[in-house]
Amino acid sequence: MQYPEPIAKLIDSYMKLPGIGSKTATRLAFYTLDMDEEDVNGFAKSLMSTKKDLTTCSICGNITEQDPCEICRDKTRDQSQVLVVEQVKDIMVMERMRDFHGLYHVLNGVLSPIEGKGPEDINIASLLKRLQVNKEIHEVIVATNATPEGEATAMYIARLVKPAGIKVTRLAHGLSVGSDIEYADEMTLSKAVQGRTEI
Amino acid sequence: MYLRDMSLRHFRNYESVDMTFKNGINILLGKNAQGKTSLLEAIYVLALARSHRTSSDRDLINWDATAAQVLGCVQKQSTSVPLELDLGKTGKRAKVNHLEQAKLSQYIGQLNVILFAPEDLSLVKGSPQVRRRFIDMEFGQMNSRYLYNLSQYRTILKQRNRYLKELRNHKQSDLVLLDVLSDQLAAFGAEIIFERLKLLKELEHWAAAVHKEISQGKERLTFKYVNPLEPEQLASTDSIYEGLKALFEQKREKELFQRTTLFGPHRDDLQFFVNDKNVSTFGSQGQQRTAALSVKLAEINLMKEETGEYPVLLLDDVLSELDDSRQTHLLTAIQDKVQTFLTTTSLSGVARQLIHDPKVFHIENGKLLE
Repeated sequence: MQYPEPIAKLIDSYMKLPGIGSKTATRLAFYTLDMDEEDVNGFAKSLMSTKKDLTTCSICGNITEQDPCEICRDKTRDQSQVLVVEQVKDIMVMERMRDFHGLYHVLNGVLSPIEGKGPEDINIASLLKRLQVNKEIHEVIVATNATPEGEATAMYIARLVKPAGIKVTRLAHGLSVGSDIEYADEMTLSKAVQGRTEI
Repeated sequence: MYLRDMSLRHFRNYESVDMTFKNGINILLGKNAQGKTSLLEAIYVLALARSHRTSSDRDLINWDATAAQVLGCVQKQSTSVPLELDLGKTGKRAKVNHLEQAKLSQYIGQLNVILFAPEDLSLVKGSPQVRRRFIDMEFGQMNSRYLYNLSQYRTILKQRNRYLKELRNHKQSDLVLLDVLSDQLAAFGAEIIFERLKLLKELEHWAAAVHKEISQGKERLTFKYVNPLEPEQLASTDSIYEGLKALFEQKREKELFQRTTLFGPHRDDLQFFVNDKNVSTFGSQGQQRTAALSVKLAEINLMKEETGEYPVLLLDDVLSELDDSRQTHLLTAIQDKVQTFLTTTSLSGVARQLIHDPKVFHIENGKLLE
């Protein structure tokens, strides 16, 4: 016997989500069948609204309901610093830290020719334009991942931005807070020694 | 260090086998195609998490199974370390002391092995690729930093080659990114070249001593690292870095034309000289073999120097390829110091009088006959 069409379609939809295979999708679909109608409605609405009500901020590339986004509109934030991240998710992580009060810029990827991503395929042009237009920005903090591609992207940005007299900084590499030196791998330790600070 | 025991599950033609080894000479005896080399391969895989015979882990898994497992216990001077490697269809998991290691580079180096197979006799005569592979495998085992730099270098090299292609095909046009990639590549390349030069110098010292002995003092073995940089540029990582960057700058047009990176450790070579003559072109077969054997034996000493422990030696059908005097040299060099595994089809070909009390394993069709 085959599954009735609505359930088959739902399973198929769940399977489009990352990390979900046919078994999990089937389980989720049958669970959905048992859920309150109200909850299911809410769920469907949230799904729809992520597509309908969200756009990307025309200034920084963050996702937002209203363009420009909340952070770009907030004039109490430090307008002289821009922190450059790979993905929108990274903004949320940085905001959780509550220590950074400047602005953001989302690249939406890193430079990786193997994956077909060159300088024109990520939001670097919009960053440069932003720096030209907005003379208040004095520092660009590059917070890409500590991978070869993340490093290449950071170096690339530095080459283009530095000649304009804007300071370019990179996040520090080293020991994670609260961890034992004993358990750190050699490369992390070596980076930590290179980037040591005076006390 | 020595390998105390090893267990295999669904590895090649071995369904399930547990064996205990001797800290001395272990002989794997059997007819052709019974699984002698597969046992050596298992030890190699346990040490380096990859095979020397195949690049596909799938080949290591028994045809009727979906996963293979290699377990072993390494006895070091004061501690013993259990190692475990699980090979599945989707990847491998490596455990040291029952703890899973996030990075293979943290696993490799726990057990050091040196493999000597008939094809190693072509180390001198073979292509540069063979020698680079040799250098990278051996130095990577001794030095995890070298391994890290190498893997970063390879990633960036792929990116840069792809980018050169795209520039040439006019899919991309930004030369600043090429500069950035050249910069990154030169930085890791410089680390690798510098480390190679340092370790090769030590290896040369040991190899020259062995070679002198085998040739009864008549021959002097020297190495030459072949690289487009000037000798004075090789003095420090900084000067190598500057040198590589300058090359990338000068030869940009050529690289763009050929769509590939033409300079760096992945293009360098190692040459061997006997009495100042290049062995690969002017040496006799015998000299080439002696040089290869000297280099291999030197590795044992170098590894002892670098890691504080003797490695485990794997000899795959090598004794039959060497004449009596070279066999004698090999066996006296390893006797009582180095745990050795050697495969052979018959005991008569082996200079038995030189091997004290070996442990012999009879192998037939993926099983051990006691």
